[in-house]
Amino acid sequence: MNEAPLGWLAAEYHLPATYSCRLPFSSPHSALISPAPGPATVRLALVRSGLELFGRDTVRDALFPWLRAASVLICPPERVALSEQVMRAYKAEAEHGQVILGESVVYRQMAHAHGAMTVYLHVPLPQRETLEALLRNIGYWGQASSFATCLQVNERAPKPTECAWPLRSLGEENLLRPYFCCVHSEFRDARVAWEEVVPFDGPRRRSGRSPFKMEVYAWPLQMVRQDGPHTLLRRTPFRENGLP
Amino acid sequence: MLDTPTLAIYELSVNVRVSWQAHSLSNAGTEGSNRLMPRRQLLADGSVTDACSGSIAKHHHAVLLAEYLAASGVPLCPACQQRDGRRAAALVERPEYKNISVEQILRSCGLCDAHGFLVTAKNASKAQGTEARQRLTKHSLVEFSFALGLPERAHETQHLFTRVGDSKEEGQMLMKMPARSGDYALAVRYMSAGIGVDTDRWRVAIEDDGLRLSRHRAILAALRDTLLSPDGAMTATMLPHLTGLRGAIVVRSAVGRAPLYSALVQDFVERLCAMEGGSLLVFPFETIDAFHAIMEHLLTASAPSLPASHRKPHLLEEHS
Repeated sequence: MNEAPLGWLAAEYHLPATYSCRLPFSSPHSALISPAPGPATVRLALVRSGLELFGRDTVRDALFPWLRAASVLICPPERVALSEQVMRAYKAEAEHGQVILGESVVYRQMAHAHGAMTVYLHVPLPQRETLEALLRNIGYWGQASSFATCLQVNERAPKPTECAWPLRSLGEENLLRPYFCCVHSEFRDARVAWEEVVPFDGPRRRSGRSPFKMEVYAWPLQMVRQDGPHTLLRRTPFRENGLP
Repeated sequence: MLDTPTLAIYELSVNVRVSWQAHSLSNAGTEGSNRLMPRRQLLADGSVTDACSGSIAKHHHAVLLAEYLAASGVPLCPACQQRDGRRAAALVERPEYKNISVEQILRSCGLCDAHGFLVTAKNASKAQGTEARQRLTKHSLVEFSFALGLPERAHETQHLFTRVGDSKEEGQMLMKMPARSGDYALAVRYMSAGIGVDTDRWRVAIEDDGLRLSRHRAILAALRDTLLSPDGAMTATMLPHLTGLRGAIVVRSAVGRAPLYSALVQDFVERLCAMEGGSLLVFPFETIDAFHAIMEHLLTASAPSLPASHRKPHLLEEHS
């Protein structure tokens, strides 16, 4: 596995409608979202895509070792607009054998994007065809109604200044600028077990540690407008000398 | 008697610009008791536009689908028979459903199969005397985007209504309600390969082609009606005038995604048509009757594919 030559695959996605990738720790009753999916969301989407295309055994035994360990970089769309939407939520409570439906108001941000979002994967090039199929097969990020259409996949290295990075890895020069930051989940390490992240495949392995770690990420996006429940972000590259 | 289908559909997308006049299909709520607030979404070009949530369209589709499924003899679970939106989750407290599996739910209810369900996992509690419960879930096969008004083609008029209060003393009350009109970009995705399939494990629970076909036809018929007979909030007194429907239906006949492209983009139909080829078919349309004709064709001529992980020679895929 370690001997295969590695290269970057770039997958571009058109986001044809509003979408909503909820932040970890963000309440479902008042859900904040990120401008694009985080690294763990990308890995889990690839696992899901693989299960559909190749079935469990192939994904678990042949692809998962790569998917959990590959470097993932995400370049957000050129502009992202966030709006807070008010929704109705219903909760059924059983009382004395009778079910009562309670209604409440919940808030959820929804995003709208201009320009493609790009996912970069550092993967073994001999597996390119398989991994390309996985990337092309992704139809949504986050919520299932957060549609995505893969426009193209090619071999291309990322521009690090245009991708999201853990905040701690950015130099001081970048930290001084008001980039959009939020918490994302990422796989704990490259040894996360299949049973830890695929909940429906047999009894869940309890290692005492979460398979995910949480980290604050900075996106190369800066706010250009805020107006009540609406926020507009525009892609602004990081400065090169502050990057890992 | 079902006609013999000739087109396998793995996934289908509907990309449309739909024109609704004088509607209030989806709202953000009320401000006090005298003003109805329309839904608004900021777009990436900086404009704030009118929006209708996908939840309300999905709910409409589910209600229509239940009728079509019942009419074609597809079973519905007791919860869906009563149009309980929790679907299978409403049943798990009943003793007879305690150890039910995803496969059993899919076989016994066409609506749970099509619109999905979520039974949350629960730990056993000695204090409450409850047993542990495993998580049971299926994603919806039919997904709706927000309908987003084209910024230069969506407008709103405020109307002043009067209503009578609860008692004579309250007298006449005033209520401001918006009527919105415009062209809206809407996208719908329907993954027909997921019919009768546990889409987490990609296990086929319903192998019978005829049973899958009945569900597929009901889903398509309900989808046609959802677009041709709009429904949502305030329709009792503000049923929208449907004045136009143009766009493209995209069919992926083998495994993969049917592309979705935003109808906010001026040339969205051309862009989708340019992708046609291989297992991708594109059906553009300019009018509601052309949309209706394509849907009628798909209703009679198409059948759901089987998932890729359930590969076996499938006659339909050879013919499509």
